[in-house]
Amino acid sequence: MSAETTESATRTARPQEPGKARATIGALVLVVLVVAGGYLSNADWGKLPDIFTEGWRYFYLMLKGLVQNPFSEPYSEYWSSAFTGMLESISMAWIGTLIGAVLSIPMGFLAARNVSNQVVVQITRVILNVIRTLPELVFAIILLLPIFGFGPNAGALALGIGAVGTLGKLTAEALEGIDPGPVEAARASGAPRSAILRWTYWSQVLPEVLAFWLYRFEINIRASAILGVIGAGGIGSVLSQAFRYREWDFIGILLFVIIVVTVLIDSVSGAVRHRIISGTGKTDKDIDTEPVGL
Amino acid sequence: MTVASPSASGPAAPARPRKPAPSRALILGLVAVVAITAWAAWEIEFELTSLFENFSNGWVVIQDFLHPNWSYLGNASTAWLETISIAVVASFFGVAVGLVFAYMASQVTNRSTRLYRFTKWFLAVLRSLPDVAYVLIFVALVGVGSLAGILALFIFNIGIAAKLTAETIDAVDAGPLEAADASGAGTFSRARWAVQPQILPNFLSYALYIFELNIRSSVVIGYAGGGGIGQLIQVQFARFNYENVSAIVISMFVVVLLIDQLSQYLRRRLV
Repeated sequence: MSAETTESATRTARPQEPGKARATIGALVLVVLVVAGGYLSNADWGKLPDIFTEGWRYFYLMLKGLVQNPFSEPYSEYWSSAFTGMLESISMAWIGTLIGAVLSIPMGFLAARNVSNQVVVQITRVILNVIRTLPELVFAIILLLPIFGFGPNAGALALGIGAVGTLGKLTAEALEGIDPGPVEAARASGAPRSAILRWTYWSQVLPEVLAFWLYRFEINIRASAILGVIGAGGIGSVLSQAFRYREWDFIGILLFVIIVVTVLIDSVSGAVRHRIISGTGKTDKDIDTEPVGL
Repeated sequence: MTVASPSASGPAAPARPRKPAPSRALILGLVAVVAITAWAAWEIEFELTSLFENFSNGWVVIQDFLHPNWSYLGNASTAWLETISIAVVASFFGVAVGLVFAYMASQVTNRSTRLYRFTKWFLAVLRSLPDVAYVLIFVALVGVGSLAGILALFIFNIGIAAKLTAETIDAVDAGPLEAADASGAGTFSRARWAVQPQILPNFLSYALYIFELNIRSSVVIGYAGGGGIGQLIQVQFARFNYENVSAIVISMFVVVLLIDQLSQYLRRRLV
């Protein structure tokens, strides 16, 4: 290469390749981090082959549970308790999302820079950030179990509190992004503050906020399974129970029900979200991308 | 508002336009929402009276929480090291495998419609299970410990990384792709040289986001038997050592906040 370029000096020289030093250093640091992580995580790597040897056996057992006649004992019992658990999880997620949605409306207005004054905005944002930092599980174990006891009611409240953090933040961001025109028009016509908030701010963000709620509902269905593991009811409780007794055929049925129902609800809710957002004529916006911030 | 009513304005003024009646879809939707809410509330026996009746039970716990046991932070820091290591390993391998799936889950890079459909379906199934279900599965396979947590997060991360990256791939600039096609590039080199440079900044920022997610879900992972800080919380909570749990929760604030800041800084430099 070098010989060629020196020979044909009259030809424009090939541009020098940009340095790769930074990329190489980055890759090296990453490798060191991963190796150190593998060592410091105290993981018992020797057990890794187990997932291949044992995994197939368990997977076979799970499939076997699925293909059994669902009307024979004990499989009819398995299926019905799977569906009851899933319904309870969905109810928990629904009520939790509603609680979060209702509480997030005032929080969103208080945290929007173009609605409230600076001090209120900062305080509200701190509260929302604190809520967002803590997982639902922490709310459930700290406050709700001692007061409400183990059960779906405590789970729904924990999901609701957890949802306020993200929904409040997203609502505030939506409010900050509105078109100021209608606000000025309403102000010019002498509308009271409550009417301005209701008919100019809220009307503009309503479709977006509804989509956030639905998306949060989808997330809460998964989160309700997590709460179930600590005893908040729903499919999570049934699942951890089944794992405790290693009933693999039952586990297979439970996982199947979770997958099918979740995919179904996701697609229905996704279609509704799509309809809500595109109904406002915002077709240029990429409507299928979900808010990563959730 | 009442001043503007048509009767008050002069006869010359045009009548105020009638308010459009609410659409049938809206009414049906609202009825459905109310019905589902009522049913769901009944299903989980929703009530708030406990909040007032049993508040004293909770108050005892809250008081313990207000007096965190600071000396416990030492134990928490070793558990945090474990959690962060789990997250690093799981996100690294998760996003690496997720990238391959992302190429298979976009019609820009995957020219086989059948394989594309299958990948999409497979990823939807992968994403529909909550992380805790994976932890339970791997705890059953390899026993309680960090390995179960790493494997569970690894599988979980593949689904998210593949979905987010596939959406980015769908939106790449077609120019380089056409150039690669014109020069007769194969499926692999097309993906590597025409697509990857375009998506790399976004992909790295997704990787950071997934790392953050893994730190956040560490409580859940550990609670179900996947090692790290969650396991510590579970043990201390089961022993009713609320002062220790409080110290852990405070350390969680600090760690999550620091990692958020770090990842925001890195992401700003990337994108």
